[in-house]
Amino acid sequence: MKKYLDLVRNHDFSEPHELIHIDCASHIYPDGSIGIHELCFRVKENEIVALCGANGSGKSTLLEHLNGLLLPSKGNIYVMGKKINLTTKKDLWKKVGIVFQKSDDQLFAPTVLDDVMFGPLNLGMKKLEARDAAMEALRAVGAEKFINKIPNYLSGGQKRLVSIAGILAMKPKIIALDEPTSDLDPKHAEIIEHIICELKGKHGISIVLATHDLDLAARIADRICIVKGGSIIAEGRPSEIFYNINLLEDAGLKEPKVVQVYEALCKFKGIEAKRRPVTVEELVRSL
Amino acid sequence: MSNSQASSHIPDLDLITYYSENCYSFLSMASPWTKLIGLIAVILILTIAQSVELLVVLYAFIIFLYWRSNLPIRKLFDWCLLPILFVLSLVILLMWNEPGVLLFSLKLPWFSLTLTDNGLLLLIRLLLKALISMTSSILLLMTTKYAYLSAIIYRIFPFPVDQIFLMSYRFLFITLDMIDSMIRAFKSRGGGFIKNMSRQSQAFAEIFALVFIRSYDQAERVNKAMESRGYDGTYTTSTEIPQMKPIEYTVLLAFLVAVAYLLLFYNSSILR
Repeated sequence: MKKYLDLVRNHDFSEPHELIHIDCASHIYPDGSIGIHELCFRVKENEIVALCGANGSGKSTLLEHLNGLLLPSKGNIYVMGKKINLTTKKDLWKKVGIVFQKSDDQLFAPTVLDDVMFGPLNLGMKKLEARDAAMEALRAVGAEKFINKIPNYLSGGQKRLVSIAGILAMKPKIIALDEPTSDLDPKHAEIIEHIICELKGKHGISIVLATHDLDLAARIADRICIVKGGSIIAEGRPSEIFYNINLLEDAGLKEPKVVQVYEALCKFKGIEAKRRPVTVEELVRSL
Repeated sequence: MSNSQASSHIPDLDLITYYSENCYSFLSMASPWTKLIGLIAVILILTIAQSVELLVVLYAFIIFLYWRSNLPIRKLFDWCLLPILFVLSLVILLMWNEPGVLLFSLKLPWFSLTLTDNGLLLLIRLLLKALISMTSSILLLMTTKYAYLSAIIYRIFPFPVDQIFLMSYRFLFITLDMIDSMIRAFKSRGGGFIKNMSRQSQAFAEIFALVFIRSYDQAERVNKAMESRGYDGTYTTSTEIPQMKPIEYTVLLAFLVAVAYLLLFYNSSILR
């Protein structure tokens, strides 16, 4: 019986192409507040998943579980087929990188190059090897010109680029980004958006994105998960989720601008609401 | 650079770092090791030397180096106020009733105050020592890139002191920015320094408490971010420090010989 229970306990329930599988996980903080509650979630290979929810809905807590910074109080997490527990969480950072919302929390080293080399050196790379990995990552995000700068003298957008390079240099399979375009000017937000798409397209990295910018999610995500009260209350393609106004309202969100425009056009111009565009390109095509 | 500093007499860390990163004088080009050894030699002189003349010459030499390095001399004099006040607050009690030639005397009913030449020299000597140590340290900071400073700290300090230094410098900026923005917000709502003493003291205590709490939160978040990249308690810096050139060896050797000569022979023959 014990053998059977161990077998069940250690069995990998995730599907072969799944990188992350969260099975009904809950997390309660020491002060009693609920971080996530019976949350089920999965990330497949080479996809961008957007976690959309209002402030305090549990998005960031979920991201921290993906990297092993937090362990669930209840339920299981499997990353690349391995169940995460106190022992296996130690190496999780090698597979799942996390870009934090505030770049100042992440950039601590005296220079940009030192900061980006921090991860590769922890992976056990030699100095030259780590330097090459860091330079490659900085080039990939277009931040190679900042190598000798002090992070303090970078703009918010430049800091965000360096933060992404710091994670990319470790060559993880999955990158979790917490509000990657918040507090950025439109130009840098566009650059970051382009980089996220490249991480998936060029580097084959799966992306988990926590955001309340539904326009961004509509443009780049393959799948949307709506988070409320620490649970995922709906999941689907952007065109399915973003036309469900009641669902978005319930989650404290507002539909993307394209959806608002399209619905207004349908209402006032009598256009037949069939296509459900979520990006500007789709909207133009649908007209 | 911060432009809403509480006082122009407090050394501006942002300005110091700006010069260290963007100054291309001969001292900026010199190896950080040369400058560090030079600073140690200066501190050695300050520890041993009692000669006021020697201290004046040394101070003039350091001011000359500072000026030749195209650094803002007026700012330096602004920053002198705090060390001067600090020394005065200590010496104001010690300088009286020293044995020597009487310069000034004040007789009060229950005691008398006398100022002698030695009392005055004590004041001048301590002032010079404070100003020399401040100016030479600022000169090192303003002509050495932060990456080199941190690499030096990493090489010469033992664990965990090196780790504390490596991480604290960057967060000094963040904490200063935090204080700066709080003071701005405080002033923007009518707060000031001299309106109501008890209210101001309370407000500054609140700002201090908030900075403490926020710094603690920040430290937690930084630790989390570092752990997420595999931090195991040891952080290494990869910056290579430029090596000393032959000319630097020569200059440094000449300087050290001069220091040794002054300390061994000259010091005893001049005014003490």
